[in-house]
Amino acid sequence: MANRQAASLRGAAAGVALTLASVLGGAAGAQADQAEGARAVDGAPVIATQQQRVVRGERYTPGISVTPDGCEVWVMDDGAEGYAVANVRPDGTPVCREINVCGVMNTDQFFATDRWHIGQSGRERLREFFDEATAFGYIIAGHTDSRASDEYNMRLSQRRANSVAEVALDAGARVIDVRGYGERQPRATNDTAEGMAQNRRVEILCVR
Amino acid sequence: MKIVRFAVLATAAATLAACSVGPDKSRDGGVDAKNLSELEWGVWVDPQGCDNWIADDGVEGYMARRLDRYGEPVCSGVAPPGVATGPFKEGSSIPDVL
Repeated sequence: MANRQAASLRGAAAGVALTLASVLGGAAGAQADQAEGARAVDGAPVIATQQQRVVRGERYTPGISVTPDGCEVWVMDDGAEGYAVANVRPDGTPVCREINVCGVMNTDQFFATDRWHIGQSGRERLREFFDEATAFGYIIAGHTDSRASDEYNMRLSQRRANSVAEVALDAGARVIDVRGYGERQPRATNDTAEGMAQNRRVEILCVR
Repeated sequence: MKIVRFAVLATAAATLAACSVGPDKSRDGGVDAKNLSELEWGVWVDPQGCDNWIADDGVEGYMARRLDRYGEPVCSGVAPPGVATGPFKEGSSIPDVL
């Protein structure tokens, strides 16, 4: 990470040379933490020496703007230039103030085990939801617990999401995307029955 | 026409913007001074049909990918590709002359 930064900054001709002591300090701190954790495991230090480097760069401290979705964007005003990029975690998920899920269906109430057909009463409840919701469109994502194979769960969650999308389309709603995440995005632990029940769900994201 | 454009740009750049010289890039200086948290975002739909947040803040422009909570691009169809929509020019008092 630091190497990549240094490589990109090396080209900055007019950049003022600074020693980013606190940045290096922070990184060293993180390494020290890791080393300590590792030491606890095998009793030997993993990082024996710390290399000190001078990074040539300019400090750019961003502000945060929140988009209408409630998600954060890093923004910087450098005089006559503006820069912006979504604030995402290293895993690619955005950092948001309010989570933009407008409906989570517990799939136990809508689907029989291993099935993806929605019964009449479930259909009516869903229809009511889509009739009342005012979003511009919907992203529908199916999820399962961790029982059965990953492949099976990917298929099952996609089929369940498709069933929900059908009802949405029937109700005249705009469906932006339909996905099945299988067991890959658990919301709770799969070690308890309760957690697994929470993981069996179809999430409806509202796009305004 | 080009010269006029350039003159307008240069004047704008010289008189209105500037100011932000320190490491703190979280504020807009100049006539429309503010904290950047006050940007007004609209949506620009890119040629692939995916949404991007856009804010025209007078002399500066900002754009960032619109992502859903899973980190996937949102391609909502809110406008045709290449079209910007919403209040994205309303965050600054500087008119958009170009």
